[in-house]
Amino acid sequence: MNRRKFLALLGTAGVGGALATPGMAAAKAHVFPGYEDSYGVLHDVTRCIGCRQCEEACNAVNSLPQPKTAFDDLDVLGVRRRTSAYEWTVVNQYTIDDKPYFRKLQCFHCNEPACASACFAKCFTKNPDGSVTYNGDQCVGCRYCMIACPFYIPGFQYDEPFDPLVQKCTFCKPRLDKGQLPGCVEACPMDALTFGRRSDLIRLARRRIEENPGRYTDYIYGEWDAGGTAWMVLAPASKETAGKSDVGAAGATDVMHAIGLDTHLGTQPMGELTYGALGTVPLIVAFWPILFGGLYGISKSREARNEMRNKIMRAAVRQDMAAAMDDAVRRIEQQQGPEAAEVARQALEDAVEERRQAALDASRFARKEDH
Amino acid sequence: MRHTLFPLTGLLLLLSLACLLPAGAQAAAVDELEATDSGAPTAIMMLPGGDKKAAGSMKPVVFNHLIHERKIEDCTVCHHTGDPQKCSDCHTLKGSEEGKYITLERAMHATNIAPRTDGPTPQSCVSCHEQQLKRRECAGCHSIAKPARDDRWCGVCHSVTSSMSAQQLQQAASGTLPDDERDELAARTVLEKRYATPLRPELLPSRIRLDSLSDKFGPNYFNHRRHVASLMRRIQDDKLAAAFHKDPASLCTACHHNSPASATPPSCASCHAARIDPANPGTPTLKAAYHLQCMGCHDGMKVARPLKTSCASCHKPRTEEGQ
Amino acid sequence: MAEHYDIPMPTRDQMLNLTPFFRLTPGNIITYIILAVGLVVTVMRFTLGIGAVSNLDDNYPWGIWIGFDLLCGVALAAGGYFTTVACYVLGLKRFHSAVRPAVTTAFLGYFFVVVALHYDLGHPLRLPYAFFYPGTTSVLFEVGLCVATYVTVLFCEFSVMPIEWLAHRFPVLRIFHKLITKTVILLTIFGVTLSTLHQSSLGSLFLIAPGKLHPLWYSPFMPMFFFVSSMAAGASMVIFEGMLTHKGLQFYMDTNHAKDSKLVTLSFSRAASFILMGYFMLKLIDMIVQNNFAYLFSGYGVLWLVEMFGFVLLPALIYAKGARDGNEHICQIGSIITVLGIIFNRFNVSIIAFNWHLPAAERYFPSWHEITVSIFIVTLIITVYRFIVYHMPVLYEHPNFRHHG
Repeated sequence: MNRRKFLALLGTAGVGGALATPGMAAAKAHVFPGYEDSYGVLHDVTRCIGCRQCEEACNAVNSLPQPKTAFDDLDVLGVRRRTSAYEWTVVNQYTIDDKPYFRKLQCFHCNEPACASACFAKCFTKNPDGSVTYNGDQCVGCRYCMIACPFYIPGFQYDEPFDPLVQKCTFCKPRLDKGQLPGCVEACPMDALTFGRRSDLIRLARRRIEENPGRYTDYIYGEWDAGGTAWMVLAPASKETAGKSDVGAAGATDVMHAIGLDTHLGTQPMGELTYGALGTVPLIVAFWPILFGGLYGISKSREARNEMRNKIMRAAVRQDMAAAMDDAVRRIEQQQGPEAAEVARQALEDAVEERRQAALDASRFARKEDH
Repeated sequence: MRHTLFPLTGLLLLLSLACLLPAGAQAAAVDELEATDSGAPTAIMMLPGGDKKAAGSMKPVVFNHLIHERKIEDCTVCHHTGDPQKCSDCHTLKGSEEGKYITLERAMHATNIAPRTDGPTPQSCVSCHEQQLKRRECAGCHSIAKPARDDRWCGVCHSVTSSMSAQQLQQAASGTLPDDERDELAARTVLEKRYATPLRPELLPSRIRLDSLSDKFGPNYFNHRRHVASLMRRIQDDKLAAAFHKDPASLCTACHHNSPASATPPSCASCHAARIDPANPGTPTLKAAYHLQCMGCHDGMKVARPLKTSCASCHKPRTEEGQ
Repeated sequence: MAEHYDIPMPTRDQMLNLTPFFRLTPGNIITYIILAVGLVVTVMRFTLGIGAVSNLDDNYPWGIWIGFDLLCGVALAAGGYFTTVACYVLGLKRFHSAVRPAVTTAFLGYFFVVVALHYDLGHPLRLPYAFFYPGTTSVLFEVGLCVATYVTVLFCEFSVMPIEWLAHRFPVLRIFHKLITKTVILLTIFGVTLSTLHQSSLGSLFLIAPGKLHPLWYSPFMPMFFFVSSMAAGASMVIFEGMLTHKGLQFYMDTNHAKDSKLVTLSFSRAASFILMGYFMLKLIDMIVQNNFAYLFSGYGVLWLVEMFGFVLLPALIYAKGARDGNEHICQIGSIITVLGIIFNRFNVSIIAFNWHLPAAERYFPSWHEITVSIFIVTLIITVYRFIVYHMPVLYEHPNFRHHG
């Protein structure tokens, strides 16, 4: 192979490939699709019976403090509750077309969590197994994660004076590591919570929707919402969504809203909303000093120019004046003698000095009034 | 031409005469049928349309007008235009303007029919039968069991008497079957209709102890025979159920699903494990399988008690000392 | 040039001038009562926990300690960068007398923002962890980094004043004084860069919560709104403070300062008027572009209209009128409304329009402890400001350091 041939080959295959591949790879890497083979849980609202056994199991496996009302008290389901530092999961009752439904609420374990984007001390980690965990050892307690979380999940130990931490569902990460199921999933008597690989769960959800026409709203909450979540929700059909296929976020809004889920979070991770603003930081850091330095330079040179012009003018005026004075004094000397000339010189000098002082004062005020 | 046509016509004449012989015998079949109040024929053979070449693949449907008209209050349930005309008048094989381009196939099978704001919403055969599944006596099983839409299922309606010859089937498909023959075959199909005899509850297990999972709660004693008997009693006179439950063990398959209908089906635990298999997350765990079947059926049949969350109604809680 | 003979300046023998604090004036009495109660609440906060003294909960992790102490504190301390840029970068030397009070307020403002933050943080001592475990994707990290750096910059800018006071005793400080005056332009440019970044980033903080903040306030342009409004806040605070110092601290002013103050007020009013007009237009365009008309006819719409017309457009017009007529008092009224408007806006974004869809029962209202802490912090700022003015050349030029910075 001679050099020409080699270059030609390089030109056709090598360079073309080299140009195309990195560009495409970069375009793909721009959006983090979530860890491959990460786990998730599918919550089938149509199966949930509101027995609160998941809450009880969560409390037990995480050694959380005993609640005020026992877990077999089902009256609390009617009151809208949220997760807190000591209740990492809660089940609430909702109504769709006058029929009662129950939905479990816990950390959704986002693919790209808002809490992790928001934390300035890197307390949150999205693990390859799908869980989002929190390390309280480096938490400063600013609670920005709680502002950021679109699902109102993290709770703060406000009652703890010296070591208050943010608390939330851990996906039972310690149990997952031991090969056990999350406490709530294991406790669920209805398999309303299905544990599996996230990709499998999405397929499973689609199959359930397909095989049970009229039972589900054809929308998997969490498949794309907030950039995708590990825990997903399959909602029952309402009169409007029954029998409709692939209703999309807009079509599912009413049903999801009825069970307390927000479909307006968009499909991008919440953190991306701040990336634009953060992207301007280097721009400002680079550009502002140049801009303001330039402004300073301009104002400085203008000042110097003015100063110089004034100086020259003042010098010219002084010279003119001195020449005129000399002339006048000389004439007086010729006509009235040296004594009179001396008096005149003195008087002229005094008058000039007086004028100068007055002009100086006036100009200072005028300058100020001007602006 | 003429010379060759004569022997042909003669042959045809002979053939038709030969056909008349069984037809004459069947004339009794039409008369044997009970007449309808509406005046419509009791048995109507409906011919599936579609591809002429593949016509043999789907058998004609014999519609028993009598038992259907007795089940409804108003003819417009099916004859939605108000005229007692044939479905195929408007709903042609290819669709026509009068039929709003709804083909005959759709008119018979469509399930997702948009409600009409003007006048009654039309029903297809399948959509009406599906609605029947929502009756309390059906809804229990049918909320947890969805029969597969396979050949067996199609064959419930698409079946004719075995005396209909292949040639007649072909004639039917090409639209050349004489009307009197057609009526005779329809009547004969109705007369020959035989329903399966369901299993007798006394032969089935009585009380079953479900205890493989008991930890917090004691074992559950499931009164199997009483449940089966109750279900059977509710549908014993139901012709629709009888027509579709073609196997004596059909009823068993509601709970004992995903295995062939049998009087001795495998136990739940043979498929449903106590722990979920992450590779196969769609299969419920044993506990969930029990609960989904029991509660799903109770839900469908609107059994108000016991409450789903009152565990102790079905399982005795284990006392502290008992553990 | 400047007459300062009747100013009670500290001397080598008499470094302290604390007598004004011991006079039994109503101001002093109220100050001491607030400080005493504030100290009690401080002890409660750090022994009983945040939950014991505040109404903060899981839905409202941020209350007035953030909404007022941090957001308003930082915005109202914008006078520092605004004045130094005008004076040093743009070469408008006639504002020179306004620089020192503005830098002092800015430094105190930022310093006490950091102090107040310690009340709100669960682990106040871990504040530096932001730099050990930098969460670079966080807007708050950027805010923290900028505020920390800017406080340092402000400290440098401010330090000339204590140096001029203490140089009697510690002549070595003159070296630093020289260093600071030589690098003042660098500090100013550094300061305005940092200010631009964190003033806007305080708005970016809420970008991550589109579902929680009412659409009339939520906008991708929140960083810009926060920055632009901070400029108006900075200009207004200089006018507002000028008014206050003329009421209570006029004995510590030299004639130059007194003479220039009207000029400063009028010029800053004109600037603020332009900025507020621009801000009004930006917000209006944003509302139109986001098609939020429907929201205008709700309770929040009324709130937004009150904010826009009562606290942005109105002060803009008042400023314009005052600057045009050369009427200081009208300008001062404008500054009061603007300052209140900034507080109103920051409250709206962080508290009132935040979690707007939550039922009324779950909404937040600050506890008296929280309000006390905020008042306590403001009182501390005023008290320390008084101490500084009583001892250091803020409102006058020190005879030993004339023509320096």
